[in-house]
Amino acid sequence: MNRIHRSKRSWTTRRDAKAKRMAKLERVVNGKIIPTDKIVEALEAVIAPGDRVVLEGNNQKQASFLSKALSKVNPEKVNGLHMIMSSVSRPEHLDIFEKGIARKIDFSYAGPQSLRMSQMLEDGKLIIGEIHTYLELYGRLFIDLTPSVALVAADKADRSGNLYTGPNTEETPTLVEATAFRDGIVIAQVNELADELPRVDIPGSWIDFIVIADQPYELEPLFTRDPRLITEIQILMAMMTIRGIYERHNIQSLNHGIGFNTAAIELLLPTYGESLGLKGKICRHWALNPHPTLIPAIETGWVESIHCFGGEVGMEKYIAARPDVFFTGKDGSLRSNRALSQVAGQYAVDLFIGSTLQMDRDGNSSTVTIGRLAGFGGAPNMGHDPRGRRHSTPAWLDMITSDHPIAKGKKLVVQIVETFQKGNRPVFVESLDAIEVGKKANLATAPIMIYGDDVTHVVTEEGIAYLYKANSLEERRQAIAAIAGVTPIGLEHDPKRTEQLRRDGLVAFPEDLGIRRTDAKRSLLAAKSIEELVEWSEGLYEPPARFRSW
Amino acid sequence: MSIAFLFPGQGSQQPNMLHHLPQHPVIEKTLHEASKVLKDDILRWDSAKALQSTVAVQVALLVAGVAVARALQAEGVRPDMVAGHSVGAFGAAVTANALTFRDAISLVKLRGELMESAYPHGYGMGVVVGIEERQLARLIANHFTNENPVYIANLNSPKQITISGSIRGIEKILALAREEGASKAEFLNVRVPSHCVLMKSVSSQLRNAMEMIPFQPPQIPYAANRTARPLRDPEAIKEDLALSVSHPVRWHEAICVLFELGAQLFIEMPPKNVLTNLAQQAFPCRRSISVADSGIRTVCVVAQRMKENSNC
Repeated sequence: MNRIHRSKRSWTTRRDAKAKRMAKLERVVNGKIIPTDKIVEALEAVIAPGDRVVLEGNNQKQASFLSKALSKVNPEKVNGLHMIMSSVSRPEHLDIFEKGIARKIDFSYAGPQSLRMSQMLEDGKLIIGEIHTYLELYGRLFIDLTPSVALVAADKADRSGNLYTGPNTEETPTLVEATAFRDGIVIAQVNELADELPRVDIPGSWIDFIVIADQPYELEPLFTRDPRLITEIQILMAMMTIRGIYERHNIQSLNHGIGFNTAAIELLLPTYGESLGLKGKICRHWALNPHPTLIPAIETGWVESIHCFGGEVGMEKYIAARPDVFFTGKDGSLRSNRALSQVAGQYAVDLFIGSTLQMDRDGNSSTVTIGRLAGFGGAPNMGHDPRGRRHSTPAWLDMITSDHPIAKGKKLVVQIVETFQKGNRPVFVESLDAIEVGKKANLATAPIMIYGDDVTHVVTEEGIAYLYKANSLEERRQAIAAIAGVTPIGLEHDPKRTEQLRRDGLVAFPEDLGIRRTDAKRSLLAAKSIEELVEWSEGLYEPPARFRSW
Repeated sequence: MSIAFLFPGQGSQQPNMLHHLPQHPVIEKTLHEASKVLKDDILRWDSAKALQSTVAVQVALLVAGVAVARALQAEGVRPDMVAGHSVGAFGAAVTANALTFRDAISLVKLRGELMESAYPHGYGMGVVVGIEERQLARLIANHFTNENPVYIANLNSPKQITISGSIRGIEKILALAREEGASKAEFLNVRVPSHCVLMKSVSSQLRNAMEMIPFQPPQIPYAANRTARPLRDPEAIKEDLALSVSHPVRWHEAICVLFELGAQLFIEMPPKNVLTNLAQQAFPCRRSISVADSGIRTVCVVAQRMKENSNC
C-alpha cells in the first residue's frame, strides 16, 4: 500500500504566484487602492501573458473603465490572454484582440459587436472557445475556466475593499467568487470611495484592489420598451397568449423576454386580464428584470414577487418603494443577482416566453444571422425544459400527455413571433442561417438558441400551435406550418389539414379562444406611453432622457 | 462620443457642385491646392458638360469631400473614423492622413482615366431594390453567360444592391429581379462596369502607380470598401484603394463596423445625402446628417451638442 509513489510537489503554487504578483504592485498601490492614473501600469504588473481574465461586461453593467485600461496595456508585456466575458458589447472589448493583448474568448453574447466578431474570427485575430448561456459560463468558472484575474465593477467601496453594487449587483459576486477563492486577483472599479457603505454586497476580503474610475461604469437601459411602439398585432398576440396559454395552463410563475410582444402582455394584464377575472390567479411570481412596462400590473396588485437578473436605469426609486414585491437590501435598494435569477428562471418557473428571428419547420430557432456571430445570453437557459426538475406545479403537470405511471411534467417554453420581421424577412424558414454561420465559424454545433423539442407553444398573429400535444414530428410540423402565414413554411401547408388540427386542439385561432381580431386595440394597453408609466408609478419611475418625449 | 465622416462616390455628383460648396476659407484654400496639382482651374471641372466624364466626376467628388472635411475639422469637428464609398474612399484615406491630398488627386485622376478607357461601350450598371444578396446572387449565377456577364457590384444596404456588366446581361437580370419581387430594378447612368472583375486591369495598373506613393499609418480607422474591415495599416489601405474598383463595395457592412466601433454621429460630405439615408435606415437610433442638407454651421452645432451630452 504505502509503496505507491508520492511525488514531492508544492501544493501552493497558485498562492505563491499570487503573492509574487501582489508584491509587484506594492510600489504602485496605496493599501488596496490603485491610483486612477496608474491603472494601466498596475494591469501590466498583475496580468501575465496567457492569463485567463474574466472581464465584467454583460448586457447591462460594464466594467468600462477597466476594459478601456486593458485595451491600453503594452502588448509586448501583456499578450495572448484568454478572455472570459458574458457579453462582448463595447468597441474596446474587441480592440483588445486587434492589438494582440488577448487571443481566445469564451462568451455568451456578442450582439452589439457581432459583425466585428465574425470578421476577426475569419481573419484569425481571435479564437473562440465556446458560446455559452450565462449560467453555463458561470458554471465553467468553477470547473475548467477558473480566472487568474477578475476585472469587475461596483458603485462604491470602502477602504477595506467592501463593495456596494446597489441595484446592479448582477454577476459581480459570481465572477469574484470564482477568482478570489482559487488565488486569482480581483480588481474592482468603483464610482466612488465612501467611508460607510449603504450595505455590503461583496465582502472586502474577496477583493484585492480597488480603483476609482474616471467615469461611472456604463449601464445600458436594455429592458425599457416604449409602449408607444406596441402595435395592434402585438396586442392580438398578447391577448391570445393570456387566454390560450396563461389562463389555460394556470401559469403561476414566469420569465419574459425583452421584446415588445411581452411588453404588450405585461400592459394587458390589468385591463384584458382583469376583464377575464384572472387577477390573483395567474402571473404571480416572476424571474424578470424590472421592466417599466410591468409597473401597471404591480400597481393593480397582480404581482406578488419579482427576482431580478439586474437592475434597470430609472427604476431605482420605484423598486425601493415596493419592497414587498422586489428583493431589496437593508438600505432599501434592489438586490439583483444574475446567476441566481438564471437558476430561478431555469428551475423554478412554469413558463418562459421569448422571441426569435428565425424558426425552422421543426420549431428550432436562432437569432444568429449570416455574417454575424451573436450568441444568446440567457434565453437558451430559461428556454428549455430542465429535466432535473422534480417539484410539480399545475402548469408543469398540465404538459403531461400520457397516462404512463412515471410520466413527468414539462416547463412551458413559448416562442412568440410575427410571421415576418422587419424588412419583409420571413421568420419561418426552410433552413436556419445558424447552420451556415456555425460551419463558417467552425463551431462544434450549430448555434441554435432554442431547440424545437423544448418548445411547447408557438404564437403568431395567425394563432397558437400547441406543440406539446403533437404525437409525431409530422404533426408538430403541421401545427407550426398552420400558423406560419405566407412564409415558405406556411405556404407548403395544406389548409384542409388545419381544421383537423383545430379540432384536435393542436392549433387555435383567435376565434377559437373567444378573441375577435378587431378587439385588439391600443386602447387596451394599461399605459400607452412612457409618460403614463411614470404616472402609474406616482412619479417614482425616472426614465432616461432618451425615453422622455415630454 | 464618436463621429464618422462618410465620403460619397459616383452618382452623387451635381452640376456646379464645387461652386456650391459652403463659403469657408479652408474650402477656398483646398480648391486652390487642387487647381495647382491639376494645373487647371478646378472650378472648370464641375459643369454639367465636364461631369459627363468620369474623370471629372471622380476628381470633383474627391476635392469636395476633402475640402469640407478639412473645413469641419477647422471648426473643431474631428472624425474618429472614416469610410468612403468607391472613389469616396480616397477622400476618406486623405482625411485619415494615410495619403496626401496631392497624391490622392493624381491617383483619382488616373483611376478615372483608366476606367473611362477600359470599356468604351456596351457595359454599365444597374440597381436592384427589395431583394437580398443571396437571392440576387442565385439569379445571376443561374443566368450567367460569358458573352453577357453580370456581377454583383455594391452592397449598399441589405436590400439595395447594384450590379455591373454587359448592358444586355443587366437588362435580363433586371427583368428577372422584377419578376422575383424587386420593388425597383433599373439602369444607372454609369457607362463603366465598376466594382466587378471586369475592372481587374484597372486595379493592377492603379496598384503599380501606387508603388511610388508613400502612405502613412492612418490616425483614425478607415473602413474598407472590399472587406468592410476597420483598417489601421497603410499597406492595407493602399490595397483597398487599388482593389475596390474590381470588387464589390461592402458598404452596409462597412458602416456597421463603424457603428460597432462606437460611431454615434455620421456626417456625410457633399454634394448630396445618399450615404446619410443609408446610415439612417441602418441605424435609426443614431444620428446621421449631411453637410449638403444641413450646412457646416448646423453640423458643427449638432456635433458639439452631442459631445457635451455624452460622457464618453
